[in-house]
Amino acid sequence: MSQSSVNPPPSRTWRDIPQSVTPRAMSREGKKRFAMAVGNIVGMVLVLGAAGWGIYEVVGIWETNPTRITAAASGVPLKDIALRTDGVLDKAWVLRTLDLPKNATLMELNLADLHQRLMASGQVQSAVVTRKFPDLLIVTLQERSPVARVMAQIGGTSPQPLMVARDGSVYSGAGYASPLTEALPFIDGVKLLRQGEGFARIEGMEQVADLLGEAHTSTPELYRTFRIVSLARFAVDSTIVVKSTEVEAITFGLRADLPFARQLARLDYILDETRRQNPTGPLKAVNLAVGGNQVPVAFDTPAVTADGRAPRVSLKPSASSPSGTALFSLPPRSLSSSKRDF
Amino acid sequence: MISKTKFIGAVEIGTSKVSVLIGELTQGRTLHIIGVGECQSRGVIKGAVADFRAASDATHTALMAAEQSAGVRIDEVYLAQTGGHLEGFYNEAAVNVSAADNMVSALDIDTVCRLAKSKNLPEGRMVVHHLRRPYRLDGRLAPDPLHLVGQRLEAGYWTVHGPEGKIADNIHVIRGFNVRVAELILSSLASGAMLASPEDRQNGTLVIDIGAGTTDFVLYRDGSAQMTGVVPVGGGHLTNDLSLGLRLTEGQAEKLKLRFGRATLATKDRAEKVWLNGDFAIGDRQFSRHGIEQITSARIWEIFEVVKKKLGPAFSPEKTAAGVILTGGTAKLPGIDEAAAKVFGVQARLGEAPGWVAENLRDPGFSSVLGLLQYGLSSRAEAASAPRKGASWVSKLFATV
Repeated sequence: MSQSSVNPPPSRTWRDIPQSVTPRAMSREGKKRFAMAVGNIVGMVLVLGAAGWGIYEVVGIWETNPTRITAAASGVPLKDIALRTDGVLDKAWVLRTLDLPKNATLMELNLADLHQRLMASGQVQSAVVTRKFPDLLIVTLQERSPVARVMAQIGGTSPQPLMVARDGSVYSGAGYASPLTEALPFIDGVKLLRQGEGFARIEGMEQVADLLGEAHTSTPELYRTFRIVSLARFAVDSTIVVKSTEVEAITFGLRADLPFARQLARLDYILDETRRQNPTGPLKAVNLAVGGNQVPVAFDTPAVTADGRAPRVSLKPSASSPSGTALFSLPPRSLSSSKRDF
Repeated sequence: MISKTKFIGAVEIGTSKVSVLIGELTQGRTLHIIGVGECQSRGVIKGAVADFRAASDATHTALMAAEQSAGVRIDEVYLAQTGGHLEGFYNEAAVNVSAADNMVSALDIDTVCRLAKSKNLPEGRMVVHHLRRPYRLDGRLAPDPLHLVGQRLEAGYWTVHGPEGKIADNIHVIRGFNVRVAELILSSLASGAMLASPEDRQNGTLVIDIGAGTTDFVLYRDGSAQMTGVVPVGGGHLTNDLSLGLRLTEGQAEKLKLRFGRATLATKDRAEKVWLNGDFAIGDRQFSRHGIEQITSARIWEIFEVVKKKLGPAFSPEKTAAGVILTGGTAKLPGIDEAAAKVFGVQARLGEAPGWVAENLRDPGFSSVLGLLQYGLSSRAEAASAPRKGASWVSKLFATV
């Protein structure tokens, strides 16, 4: 087979018809479309040209006299600061913290530095600093809320109360109302470790915050009596011990089957019943972290009545337990006057 | 950035009307019909442009109507091609498989295809379509012979060609709107793509699209188009026959055709009369219903006979198990399926658009233009699977100028 028969010249197809067309051969609509297409190209060329010229000019100025560029952008001095926050910090605090130089312009401000200054305060969880030209600095803050206090001694000064947030951050709070901070219980049983200018986070504060938050919501009378929350046994047996004005040691456990709400309900019931019967005097300790329907409690005096019999309702002295301790039996829900689920 | 959405215009410049559909092609795969435009055709005789200015005006009006209804501008056009000027022939070639182990290679396939397409065309004519029939390897059908083992590979092409001038006229009508023609598709192939299912094509079917000026047909067998053709007779000739036979104006004859025309004789009573207008006003006349049916049915039968004759031995009822599918505006004539069945000796039916086609586009007159989009979508999918060359937004911008 010859080469020419294997590679014959291809036949002409309709695709060989040139599709170029002059505007003269176009209809009015075709010409309009043509004009629009040409306009698109011209517009594109102009935009690209303008952009290129602008870049050329900027580069030229930058190479010859860079101060002209910075001067153009930094001409107007800062006039005001706008603060947006979800907490209690005010504009005065922001001004004190930022310590801006007088007559500084927006472009002179180092935003990263300002951000660092704001974040140095433990109360600030996140901060965004933005320039709004020509003369406004916008500071947006997200603050931590305190759930407890802790006493700390910094240097040679006398111990002072610091705030503890849910995430365990320890910081000296600013702008909080005194009644609010004075109502917060103290954290005990933890060792504060220095970390940079502040302290390392306290482990277990999330659970403490859950407990205190639940108490504050569901049993506010009880919450008001809470004075000290101890985390001494948190790492050992996952318990939180609260000292209240009524009971010396209330032990709460981190049990999946017994959430804090039920533990608080049990405590409330036990305190109510103890007050009502007053069989043995005030309670010394309540351990809500163990037991099923029976809660170990301790009294200042033995858990038996004067005539040597067991208390009338639910309070059963344990034969093997030391003197002053008892098991407090919780009633079934159907018999509970409050119908609470213990 | 490469544009992911393209607006394709499917344009059919017919003898009686110009139809335009706009399809939104997304990612080269999904097609939504978003615009439609129609206009009465002018300057087109039997599918060929006779008056460039009149044909351009009508086509551009339809294009503008479609663009307005879609709210977009067409990027490119798939143009239907019909007319008595189109002809076709079959040419085949065979090569001996070159590998020592007789395994068919891509080079063998390429060689046999080039040889089968290499027949010279008469002067001034150019190819519109090369339609390949299934390959044969040692005499047996082999839809994809690559890596099969055999000694002799055969390929055959049905080549559709037409005069350069008439094809260029159609393209220039579209270019006058400043839109590029991306595909030129035979009307019959477009209708076939729309109406004949893959099973029909495999079993063998004949699709006949009867327009106003031409009748296009395509014969499918073994899953591919075997033969196409155009008969320069259509529904307009029925109107013309009635006009001459009953001495009516074209408009009156068209009205009678639409109201009383039939493809088969159904009226037994030769004395039954029908009124031209039915309003008994001056000029209203009576005509024999049987006479009207005789005129229209005779022409329809003639059209089918001509198609059958053109198909010649390529058509046989035994190899056309899926029967005849009729479409086009004239296919709405009552009894036309019955007439086709009698002439071709196989079952015949009116083509039905697939379920996804909107109600207003289900008319048989839209099957070609719908098929253009369908055909375009499949050709796009094939193109997308091939390696890309640098099509960019810049080339798209300049392509419209």
